[in-house]
Amino acid sequence: MTEAISQEDQVLHRVRRLPPSLEGFREMLLANLIMIGEIPAPTYAESQRIEFLKQRFTECGLSNCSTDDVGNGLAVLPGSGERRRSVLLTAHADTPFSSTVPHTLTVDTQRITGPAVADNSLGLAVLATLPSILEQLDIRLRSDIVLMGATRSLGRGDLAGLRFFLENNDLPITAGISVEGAQLGRLHYASLASLGGEIRCTVRQESDAEEGSQPSAIAELTEVIDRIRALPLPEVPDPIRALPLPEVPDTTLVLGAVEGGTSYKTPAKSALLRFQLRSEAGKVLADLEQRIEGIVEEVSLDSGAEIRFEVIARTNAGGIPADHPLVIQTRRIMASLGIQPRSDRFSSTVSSFIEHHVPSITLGISKAHNLSQCDESVEIEPMLKGVAQLIGVLLTIDGDCCDGH
Amino acid sequence: MDINRWLQTNTFHHRQFWDLMRLIEEKERQGLRVSLCIPTLNEEKTIGKELVLFRSELMDRYPLLDELAVIDSGSTDRTLEVAAAFGADVYLSSDILPQLGNKRGKGENLWKAIYQLNSDIICYVDADIKNIHPRFAYGLIAPLIYQPSIKYVKAFYDRPLATSNEIRPSGGGRATEILVRPLFSLFFPELTALIQPLSGEYAVRREVLECIPFPMGYGVETSHLIDVYSEWGLEAFAQTDLDQRVHRHQPTRDLGKMAFGILRAFFSRLRSRGIVPDLPPLTPLLRQFQVQGREYEQVIFELPEEERPPMIEIPEYRAKRGLDA
Repeated sequence: MTEAISQEDQVLHRVRRLPPSLEGFREMLLANLIMIGEIPAPTYAESQRIEFLKQRFTECGLSNCSTDDVGNGLAVLPGSGERRRSVLLTAHADTPFSSTVPHTLTVDTQRITGPAVADNSLGLAVLATLPSILEQLDIRLRSDIVLMGATRSLGRGDLAGLRFFLENNDLPITAGISVEGAQLGRLHYASLASLGGEIRCTVRQESDAEEGSQPSAIAELTEVIDRIRALPLPEVPDPIRALPLPEVPDTTLVLGAVEGGTSYKTPAKSALLRFQLRSEAGKVLADLEQRIEGIVEEVSLDSGAEIRFEVIARTNAGGIPADHPLVIQTRRIMASLGIQPRSDRFSSTVSSFIEHHVPSITLGISKAHNLSQCDESVEIEPMLKGVAQLIGVLLTIDGDCCDGH
Repeated sequence: MDINRWLQTNTFHHRQFWDLMRLIEEKERQGLRVSLCIPTLNEEKTIGKELVLFRSELMDRYPLLDELAVIDSGSTDRTLEVAAAFGADVYLSSDILPQLGNKRGKGENLWKAIYQLNSDIICYVDADIKNIHPRFAYGLIAPLIYQPSIKYVKAFYDRPLATSNEIRPSGGGRATEILVRPLFSLFFPELTALIQPLSGEYAVRREVLECIPFPMGYGVETSHLIDVYSEWGLEAFAQTDLDQRVHRHQPTRDLGKMAFGILRAFFSRLRSRGIVPDLPPLTPLLRQFQVQGREYEQVIFELPEEERPPMIEIPEYRAKRGLDA
């Protein structure tokens, strides 16, 4: 025990001294961020970004630089330990922006601005930069670090890249860290169950009828939305509530996006809703899924509209407890750097690790603004602190400080 | 030189130079030094990104550049602050050779860079490139390192796949296609092989730069081409496809000023080389028109096309370079 505490203190001592020594890597990180951020990477079309990442991995002399069946970009920074063990460091490569959106970034002394610059070009840039930092600062780890730019994470991608890797690799992965550009202080270690859905409504319009009398898909979709919102979001039974999670509503409906119609004066022929349900219990979501199917069926029968409900993404609930050594030590590392930890109960990547019984956390690198907008921006100054935190967590895992649970 | 043969041998794509380690080995073998110069005037929005990329990629990761300099014409925005923050050597054009005075125009910055910078090769890159990438420098520098016979490398570009109101494709721009290429066709047919003669990105050997005069305004690129061609021929040139360049849209009225500057520089070359010796004096006044309501009015711009002599004729330069020893 004494030895373990000593090891932890050693890591903390080292982490406190990291930020000044990282100053020389600021421009390398920014350059990687710019070059990655200016490559469009909508979900299912991340290959150019992955190629760039692989090129960086190759330049750093990493081993096993490769692409797998689903396009994930992978490389291994070999550890020096005799016991074979690996830590997976992953950042999602895809963004919600189409290739037709201009991806030029602007750089000020304070921040970098442009589509997806924080979520998650910065996360990927950290992966591209980290091997150089570790090498030049002579930080040698015993564990292999598996670096992965993960494809097909967002929306319909449903974390397919990370899931594929976790299902198909034969590495002894002892822990996972998901790197997100934002927000600094993010410490996710557990996940709610979630269900991402699309409801598409299409109405039949008569070609010889007056425009004003035609049915509108938006009206029918609104009816569906109203009925979903009227659903009672159930309380969760006590055994499930026992999960060590902070206070948020048990089940949440997020109405994320609607699309439909072509003009203000023409009844919409089709309309689309994208939404997400989050809950502490997967069973609750299964129940709600059935109820939504019922609503869709009823509105469709009543209106004559064609309404389809499709589940496009799903994650399971669970995670590691708040008193897991990985969480405790990560909090200490954050505190030593003056970072205020902020936990959230929804972290889709954590969910993927849970399914494979790999303890994992999600960390943020810097402060971001206007997330998911074309003028998304990320602050430059906090970035190195975010990287220091990440190196600290790697040292922690590598030093067996998280093995006691 | 046959244009088709020149196009085959002296036209490159930046991808041919992807192996930067090899390029640096060759640079070091020859003992060459390379400077990158960015002339600026109120470029706070784009200068930071250019400097981050060039410094990190072409100085720290791959040491191709020995100097990274910003030469500024007197920006009133935060250009100088941003440039200094991102580690460039920042110079005010008026502080370089102050005894020779200060003239307005980008050409002044380019000319003073020859004095201020110390390398064998100077690569000029405009500051307004939104999609800046290291290829904008190494794509132009590499032909000079690999082929000693090449002295002057110009950039050319493809059209962007996506454009918005603020950006435009630059491949074969308007001023090139309706002014410069027709003029070259008439008087210097071999120079028509340069796909984008007006591009603001080029890399040049010092031995050439110091021997050519520099117009201060829009005519600088055109006169460079004529002067280098007249002295060293087409084989001294190369050009590199840098793919896409996204930059600010030039209003048509500003293109008129550009065309005026180019024409003045062009005609002065025709006269000085005896091709059209009897030209009348060229006015510095450009006349454009605007309408307000039903009233039409003339707008007169005075655009003098001043010119700096070859740097090698400047005593301070000769002293600095030890040319009189």
